[in-house]
Amino acid sequence: MLSYILRRIVATLPVMAIVALFVFSLLYIAPGDPAVVIAGDQASPEDVERIRQSLGLNRPFLVQFGGWVWRILHGDLGTSIFTNLPVSAMIGQRLGPTLSLMIVTLLLTIAVAVPLGVVAAWKAGSLIDRVIMGFAVFGFSLPVFVVGYMLAYIFALELEWLPVQGYTPLSSGFWPWLENLILPAIALGCVYIALVARITRAAMLEVLQQDYIRTAKAKGLGQGGILFIHALKNAAVPIVTVIGIGIALLIGGAVVTESVFAIPGLGRLTIDAILRRDYPVIQGIVLLFSFVYVLVNLMIDVVYTLVDPRIRY
Amino acid sequence: MSEELLRIDDLHVAFSTRRGMVEAVRGVTLTVKAGEMLGLVGESGSGKSVTGFATTRLLDAAGRVTGGKILFRGQDVTKLRGDDLRQLQGAAMSMIFQNPRAALNPIRAIGLQIADAILTHKRISKDAARAEALDLLRAVQIRDPEARMDAYPHELSGGMCQRVMIAIAISCNPALLIADEPTTGLDVTTQKVVMDLLADIAAARGMATILITHDLGLAARYCRRIAVMERGRIVEEASPGTLFSVPQHGYTRRLVAASPTATSRIEDLVTEEERERYAAVLGKPRPALAHGTPPLLEVRKLAKRFDQGSAAVTDFSMTMAGGESVGLVGESGSGKSTTSRMICRLIDPSEGDIVFDGQSIGHVASRDFHRSPLRKDIQMVFQDPNESLNPRFTAFDCIAHPLMRLDRMRTGEALRQRVEECAERVGLPLDLLPRFPHQLSGGQKARVGIARAIACRPRLLVLDEPTAALDVSVQAVVLQLLDRLRRENDIALLFVSHDLNVVRMLCDRTIVLRNGGIVEQGESRALFDNPKTDYTRKLVEAIPHIETGPTLAAAL
Repeated sequence: MLSYILRRIVATLPVMAIVALFVFSLLYIAPGDPAVVIAGDQASPEDVERIRQSLGLNRPFLVQFGGWVWRILHGDLGTSIFTNLPVSAMIGQRLGPTLSLMIVTLLLTIAVAVPLGVVAAWKAGSLIDRVIMGFAVFGFSLPVFVVGYMLAYIFALELEWLPVQGYTPLSSGFWPWLENLILPAIALGCVYIALVARITRAAMLEVLQQDYIRTAKAKGLGQGGILFIHALKNAAVPIVTVIGIGIALLIGGAVVTESVFAIPGLGRLTIDAILRRDYPVIQGIVLLFSFVYVLVNLMIDVVYTLVDPRIRY
Repeated sequence: MSEELLRIDDLHVAFSTRRGMVEAVRGVTLTVKAGEMLGLVGESGSGKSVTGFATTRLLDAAGRVTGGKILFRGQDVTKLRGDDLRQLQGAAMSMIFQNPRAALNPIRAIGLQIADAILTHKRISKDAARAEALDLLRAVQIRDPEARMDAYPHELSGGMCQRVMIAIAISCNPALLIADEPTTGLDVTTQKVVMDLLADIAAARGMATILITHDLGLAARYCRRIAVMERGRIVEEASPGTLFSVPQHGYTRRLVAASPTATSRIEDLVTEEERERYAAVLGKPRPALAHGTPPLLEVRKLAKRFDQGSAAVTDFSMTMAGGESVGLVGESGSGKSTTSRMICRLIDPSEGDIVFDGQSIGHVASRDFHRSPLRKDIQMVFQDPNESLNPRFTAFDCIAHPLMRLDRMRTGEALRQRVEECAERVGLPLDLLPRFPHQLSGGQKARVGIARAIACRPRLLVLDEPTAALDVSVQAVVLQLLDRLRRENDIALLFVSHDLNVVRMLCDRTIVLRNGGIVEQGESRALFDNPKTDYTRKLVEAIPHIETGPTLAAAL
């Protein structure tokens, strides 16, 4: 098992290398002279030259890339052009809110979507099934910001149950932390819940037709035992896959959600960095998200082997 | 007389389909006494399995009992709900199924699957349940039961999986066990071992058993009473001896006639439609081969090793003359399918050569063989007519495709004529040609598969268990068809099968394979009547025959 995980980590190295190359090339894919692009429209030729020197843009591409990778491997993501702060420090500051939002959304999704999908499959064709799937289509069609503003209006402004905006770190207490995350997590999770519920239903429907489910019934097992012990685990592989893919969805959605709910997370940082053409920061964030995504895929592969003994490692 | 355990009274079961309600069981009345083994025999669609599922209350959601009663110890099973029902299922009444590997949860250790059943019905600790599960594995004679407790179904053979199913079914000492085709798909030798085990356990525990099967021979061997079902009704019920010597009902007579026995010949498996055509070709003696004619097919020291280094086939040599029929028999894993696929050039041999009509084809890579002019001459009929036809191709497309690919025929009148001629030769009505596979019966699909294979007028036809998925009456028709085609067109047949009765009838010579090597070969009748090796003798003895003499059941 351990050697399998190690082998998989080694296998991700080429992927990370390609991602790094792409992220670094971002600056050069944009048309024109990178130094001019960074400096902006109002910069004087002296400013441009100063930026060119400080970023080492006058050296050959491969030398720059080599130096950049070397520094990243030592934990140095460079310095922001705008704030002059180290990029790693800026990301570190913003990581907490975004991670909190993503984890709460993920847990909420699993807790809501999987049981919904199981029930829909169990009662396939019934009214309950149609209601659940109707909600899934609804959740799928609404953009995150619409849901976000609606939730904020109803639950924060009108009912005053939850705060409108903002973020409180976990260190100030569990409830204050969670209180601020509930609405954003629901808004962000809507699409995700719809997606996972649909896949769970489809996977369960397939499994419930298998012969071994009939065997479980023949043994006299109760409905709960059949659904959750025998069926759900067999349906787990596609469900886990979609939950994993959905994390990419969350990363994109987090940018919008953080703007709506004024959460000082990576999403906001990304938007600010893009508007300011702060390339080192953009590169750092994209690299981090790619790394998280590769890591999630690795975790999915490990979960497969835990769920299904037929998948060998 | 012992007490009556189960009484099915005028049972009706219907399924709701797109075309409305369809009655699958139409008034079945049946009794089972405690401890007895009853055979429920019929062809697919006769309603025998549906009767079993209605009794154990495992019908699909679409199926409903629309009339009649099922009294189990005086209690009407059809009216039970919730907990009352679950106390019955798996405890007083249990069931084993056709495909044992699919019937077990693939991702749950078998020890746990047995313990599940015990824990549902008994208030004992998990450790005690595990200990009981281990005892059950011993009772079903699984080797090394301690190690097998944590094994998963994919790590066990089909026969082993069925033993585990039996262990689950008997875990709570049921009074009634319903076995739905428990050995279909298993080898003859494994079938015998599993059925013997089941009969012993049932006898030792005083369990009543309903054996649902399409195999009259199997039912005759193990049951004292057999009920024959046709189209949702029981048409005859008698002891095996009476049933086979003096069958009363027309359907039973046809079924008995179509079941191959140790002595039957192909022409005995009479069906009206084929008889006349068949008689015409039987009359003609086959032209004797001139001495010194080179063989059509010569296989020299063929071997196949798979990646892990295990040998599937070693040192296999044979020759076949044009128009000859050769049987390839053996248990599963004996390498017979691998050999047939190498000869068909679907997979590459590791060693050895295949010479067809004087040309060496063993070294042509299998992925390039479709370009060889000999591709037309070697064609294959596959095991399952349901799985081997493209569901999006009509019967016409299916037969036309090889003609377009291999005979370079384009669409048009000539192609249509050839396809219709092929359909005619296999006895497929022309109005079925525009249909898709799901609109055809099993026998019709088998005919499409054969028509496709003979479309390019091959000289060698390799058949991999072509009748294994078919009912006996359909099997009889297909066998006659194959034999007629061979005689009419001088097609050589290489027939891969584990059904020795069929091979004996159809093949001039038989080759017995075991663990990838040839054990014995010779003229079919002589080989089966006087097997020279223990292995062949075991294979022959394992076939359940319909015999009018004393049966095992009568001897008990």
